Order: sequence, then structure tokens, then C-alpha cells
Amino acid sequence: MSKLRLNGVSKAYGATLALRRGDLEVAAGEVHVLMGSNGSGKSTLCKIIAGSVRPDGGQILINDKPVTISGPQSARVAGIGIFYQELSLASHRSVEENICLSALPVKAGLFVDRAALKARAARYIALFLEVAGEGFHAEALVGNLRADQRQLVEIMKALASEAPILIFDEPTSALDRAQVDRFFEILRDLKGQGRGIIFISHRMDEITAIGDRVTIIRDGETIETLKLSETNPATVIRLMVGGASDMPAARSSAPAVVQTGAKAAISVRNLSGKGFRDVSFEVAKGEILGLGGLHGQGQSALLRAIFGAGTVTSGEVTIGGERYDARSPRDAIRRGCAYVSGDRGRDGVISGRPIIENVTPIHYLRDRLMVARPSSLRDKAMPALEAMHTKFASLFHPINSLSGGNQQKVIIARWLIDRPDVLLLDDPTKGIDLQAKADLFALIRQLAAEGLGILLYSSEDAELLGNANRILVFNGGSVTRELTGDDRTRYNLYQAAYEAA
Amino acid sequence: MTSTATDTRSSGAAGLRSWLERYPFLPALVILIALLALNGLFSPNSLSFRSLTGLLSTYMALVMLAIAQTYVVSAGDIDLSAGATLSLVNVAIVVLMERWGGGAGAVLLALALGVLIGLACGLINGIVVAALRLQAIVATFATSIFFTGLALYVMPVAGTPAPALFWRTYGGRLFGLPFVFYVLAALAVLLYLLSRTRIVTELLAVGDDQQAAYQTGVPVVAVRIKGYLLCGLFSALSAFCLTGDTASGDPLVGGKMTLYSVAAVVLGGSALAGGWTTVVGSLLGALTIGLVNSLVFFMGTPSEWQNFVQGLAILLVLMAGVLAGRRARA
Repeated sequence: MSKLRLNGVSKAYGATLALRRGDLEVAAGEVHVLMGSNGSGKSTLCKIIAGSVRPDGGQILINDKPVTISGPQSARVAGIGIFYQELSLASHRSVEENICLSALPVKAGLFVDRAALKARAARYIALFLEVAGEGFHAEALVGNLRADQRQLVEIMKALASEAPILIFDEPTSALDRAQVDRFFEILRDLKGQGRGIIFISHRMDEITAIGDRVTIIRDGETIETLKLSETNPATVIRLMVGGASDMPAARSSAPAVVQTGAKAAISVRNLSGKGFRDVSFEVAKGEILGLGGLHGQGQSALLRAIFGAGTVTSGEVTIGGERYDARSPRDAIRRGCAYVSGDRGRDGVISGRPIIENVTPIHYLRDRLMVARPSSLRDKAMPALEAMHTKFASLFHPINSLSGGNQQKVIIARWLIDRPDVLLLDDPTKGIDLQAKADLFALIRQLAAEGLGILLYSSEDAELLGNANRILVFNGGSVTRELTGDDRTRYNLYQAAYEAA
Repeated sequence: MTSTATDTRSSGAAGLRSWLERYPFLPALVILIALLALNGLFSPNSLSFRSLTGLLSTYMALVMLAIAQTYVVSAGDIDLSAGATLSLVNVAIVVLMERWGGGAGAVLLALALGVLIGLACGLINGIVVAALRLQAIVATFATSIFFTGLALYVMPVAGTPAPALFWRTYGGRLFGLPFVFYVLAALAVLLYLLSRTRIVTELLAVGDDQQAAYQTGVPVVAVRIKGYLLCGLFSALSAFCLTGDTASGDPLVGGKMTLYSVAAVVLGGSALAGGWTTVVGSLLGALTIGLVNSLVFFMGTPSEWQNFVQGLAILLVLMAGVLAGRRARA
């Protein structure tokens, strides 16, 4: 008997078919993985099940009975709980209020039952007690938490629904290894209770670790459902990308260490600031320096500080031999520094504006451009976008019409029109699909080969191991270990990340 | 941003920040005390029990209207018809009390009807804004004209007096204490009870992120309508206080109070974008505006300059409050 079945579900937004034909069958007691590149319709499928998107056609069956889901409330009644990829949290409310918000316990029909609310929230907070990190408690405001902690709150909120069918749309994108491990233990537990779980992730290791079956979606259509034990990652990826199976390997062998003697592109001496302290390193021209370790150990803070968007209290940075202290990102950009964040919504995308405006702002700034003709801008923007294999209908479409991966390509392309000397990558592949990741790393390596100095922070260890010449492991705001040459192994990276600071 | 490395320099700021998070009205309170002190400086008499009571009974209407506004602002909405609702209730109760003879029964019945009129205005706003999805700022501007039109129909010219029983009670004393103190106490109890209701938590969740609240299963449309109902209710209460203070009906009396109520909300430390509001702050904000006005008077500002100085003072107070809050939160 299947817990949940979808037959030919479809959804169109205007002329765009977000989901052409979604079929899915989830059994009791399984973790069912949904795979597909970004924009393939996974999230739409999940939102249809959860009632926040109304389908245009198709059928939904729960326990083999057809149901109509008219909204999030009716989905809840039907026994569905969901983790939203973009989170559904109220940032000015406390952790416990957020966990219970969908069904606030009520006294006398009018008042919130604080005691019951606290008790219920405490059960779910306790599940992640050891891994939630500093500053996480029931009364903390969600807006004050780190990204990974907010994601944990969304997980707790989904769990608190106690629904027989649970959907997790990229629940692990900001979590560190310990948090993911704890979450997977809980998932296995829920599986044992006979719940049906839908799970989406872009990390192959997680999928093989937790999944039972996988359904592959391509271009809004369900392609195939496979048992994960009877398949391998290569097959899954081939099915995902369809015909174009000759994708560049994102996890190919790590590049060799750059020969010493090359001139330093950027050097950092005893740099301290908010979130990191006493960090020193040098990046040679043509080198990719990886920053590793658990989340929030100062990697992002360091990159933002170098870019002039964070605070530096002491220490110095030189770029190309010249003293460099960016007071603002504007200053940093003028001096040849580039920064790409994984948090596109906050740091990259100019929402609602055409692609061309999203590609050119850096060019405006570096060229001190006052007046521009679209045609001459197009000539400059096109090569940059093509270098990234960006897929888009026209330069004048709004950037929001692109999938996450293509949006990120546009953001990166804006730095390629006028070449920077130093490229700061702050978890650039967060939430983008495997094909886009592969394109991105191919480009990063090419840029390194052309002589850029690149700093790469990634939350995915495989990306660091596969692309960085050296890796600095961060712990508690400072560098605790440097991995070079044959030391760059998964084991060493985990070990260095987890050892006490 | 939270960081693992603790910075001793910022721990003081962090302490202040957590205080502000718990009591977002603190800047408003400080400003209020400062204004009281200034008032005392220019006219020691202004700090007497008698004149403070007078201030409270004059500005109780604005306090109520600011609180009314706070509930819609919580959900990220706004009500530009709050003042017009006040006018409509004001003229309606004055006319009804007069028509029914001005006895105790007539007063109470008129007040009950006044509450219903306030709720009806709130319901209309709620339906127009939340159910029909018109922009709150434009839609409530339109309904404000509509409500003012109704008020002018009920009482074409200002000046009908309210029955003596009503305004004597409001301006008088009960068991030796000014009546307005009982109003304040009742308001405090009401606000405390409301702060613990589900609807207020839901209003704030909707104001925080409407899409997230919807996806969480919060009935967004119903919650926003209830926010406007609360606003209508407090607008009616505001009209009662105003009628008690002015002792007459005026179909245009509330118009200029609407934006004062919005200013009081911001002054109190609430975010106009929603999700982060404080009714205590709005109360303090409304009193602050009252004190600014009385200060301008006590300073002996020539009458032709009073508006200018008033505007300047409110601007300064707003800047002080907003900047203090922003700095501490950053």
C-alpha cells in the first residue's frame, strides 16, 4: 500500500510549464529521494503536495484514497508536514513560537497556552540539543540565529506537525556534518515508525546515506523511480541530465599544488575581525585556496571582511604587493576584488530586474560608466554569460525567471566583464544543481589557470577536495590546520574540522 | 550576525540589544521622561497632578487610536481610515445619546452601538484589504472618505453637545480618583489579555512574512480581517474618550488624528513593515506627541509658529527614537 501517490500532476505559471507530469509513489517507512536539476519541478511538486500551490491537473491519493488539497491547512489535516527550501519562519518570533505556529495550543478558545507551547517545542528542540550550537534556545528570536540554526528550526517545525507524510525540500543545505548526522538519525527513527518521507538534496553522499528509493525528474516530468541499492550515482546523474551525459567531472582529481615562486595575488597577515582572529595566508596567482571546516567558523566572515562588507579590527591585507584595506565593497571592487555569495537573494540578485542589469553593475562601477548603449553592453555581457553556459531566453527577461543555478551564473558573469585579480567565493554552489556546479567549477579552474587568485569556501567537502590546491581548516574563527598535497583527504578534513579548537 | 568569537567590546551593545528586543518601547520611554522634564523646566506647574490628569484625558483618544493602528500595523497593514472611523462613532453616539434623552441607559446603549459601528468599519476595511486584496494604504484612504461622508450625513455641522452625564463622568472623579485613571487601568488589563491571545501572535506572524505564514497554515485573510476588527474596536473606544474630552460631536474631528496615530506607532518602536510592534510603545508614543504639543505651548511659542515648532519637535523626537533603536539593534 502506498502512503502517497501522485498521478500526472501538472502546474503552469503563465506560459511556463513548471511541472508537466509529476508522478510519485511514496511507501510507508521509506525515505524517498527526489532528484532533478534546479528548475526541473521538484519544489513545485512538493508545494503541490503541501497545498501552497494549487495544481492545474492530476490526482493526489493518500492511503489510496483520492484527496483534494485546497491549501496548507487542508494539507495539514490530510497528514502532510513540510520543510520549505526557502524556510517559512517568522524572524521576529521566538524559536518555540515558530515551531508551534501552524497549530498554536489554545486555552479557552482565545489565549495561547504558553505552558503547552513550551512543552511541545521543548520536545523538538531537545532532539538537536547537542548540535544546535551557541545562542540557540527556545526563546531566541529566529532572526538572530545563524543560517544553519534557522534551518534546524524549520526542521523542528516540520517534525512538530507529527504528520504521517513528511517532505524535506533541501533541509541540509546550511547544516554542518554533525547536524546532518543527527537529522539523519531522526529520519531513520521516523522511518521505523512507518512515516513516508520525501527528501531532496543536492549532495550525493547524503542521498546514498539516507535514501531508499529515488525518483528522477527532468524538465517537469517524472523520468524513473529506482531503488538506490540497485543503482549508482553515475546512473542517477545520467538520468538527471538526460542526453548530455558527457558532463565535466566536478569531483575529478584534485589539482596539483601550485609550484612555489609564483607571485602572491593576495596575502593576509594576522587579520582579525568580528568572527575570525589572527588569520594569515597567501594565495599565489593561479592558486585556489580552499577554506574548510564546519559552518560559521569564520570562513564567511573572513571573506566578507576582505571584501569590505565586514569588520576588520587588526592585521593587514595586500593585493598584488600593494596595501589593501577596503572600507566598503565599492572600494574593494575598484581595487580588483570580486565576491560571490551562496546567499544570492541577499548578496547577489537584483530582484525583479532584467538579466542585463544584473550582469553589468560591476562594469558600471569599474569603468565609471555614465551613459551606456544596450547594444554595446550586450557585446560585453554575452561572452561572460556564454563562458558560464548560462541558459536564458533574452537579456531583457527578469532574473527571477531563471532557475537558482542560472541566476548564480549571471551573478558570476558580472565579475567576468572586467577581470578581477582576486575572486572570493563564499559557498557559491549553495542550492544549485549538479550541472550548474560542474559548469561553475570548470570556469573557476579556468580562471585560476589565467592567473587569478581564488579563495573558495564551500560547505561541501567534495568541492574543496576536488578543486582547491590547499585547504585551510577553520575552527572557532581561526585556522587550525592546513592541508596540502596528499593530506587533502576527506578523513583529514573531517578530523581537522571536528577536533576541539 | 552571531559569531563564535566573542568580542568584549560589543557585549555592552549586545546587552542593550537584548533589552530592546524584550522592551522595544524603551527609547520612547526615555524620550517621554525627557519631555516631562522639559515641560517641568518651562512650567513647573505642568507637572502637577491636575495638569497631568488633564493631559491624559486629552490624549487618551490618541492613545487609543495609536493602539488601534498598532494591531493592523502588526500584520503589515495600515489603516488610514482610523480617524474617520473615530469621527463617525463620535457623531453617531452624540446624536443617539441626544435623541434618546441623555440618561444612563441611553448613554450605555449608544456606546454599545458605537462599538458595533467601529467593528463594522473595521470589517469593511478588512474585507476590502484582505479579501479583495487592494493596497491597504489606498483602500483605507478611500474608505476614510466614505466614512467621513457618512459622518457628515449623520451630523452636517459640528457642535451638537454630548449629554452632561457622559462628559462629566469622563472628566470627573470616581472614589476620589480621576475617571481617566480607571480608563487607563482597564486599557492595561485589556492590552495584557490581548497580548496573550492567539490572534495577536498570528497577526505578528503574518506581518513578519505573509507568504511564510500562509505556508505554515495560518489563515492569512481571516487574521488580517481580525486585525482590522481590532482596529475598528479601538477606534470606537478612542471616539468615546474624545467625546468625553470635547463634550461634543464633530464629523471631521478624527481626520488629522490618523497620521498622528501612525507617527505614535513608529515613535513607540514598532516597525511599520509589520511583525514587530509594541502596544505599550504606541501608548507612550501618543503621550509623547501630547507632551510635545504642550511643551510648544508652555515655551510660549507665538501662535503663528506653533505648527512649525510642533512639526520640528516631532521630527526630532522621531529621529532620536528611531536612531537609538537602530543603533542598538545593529
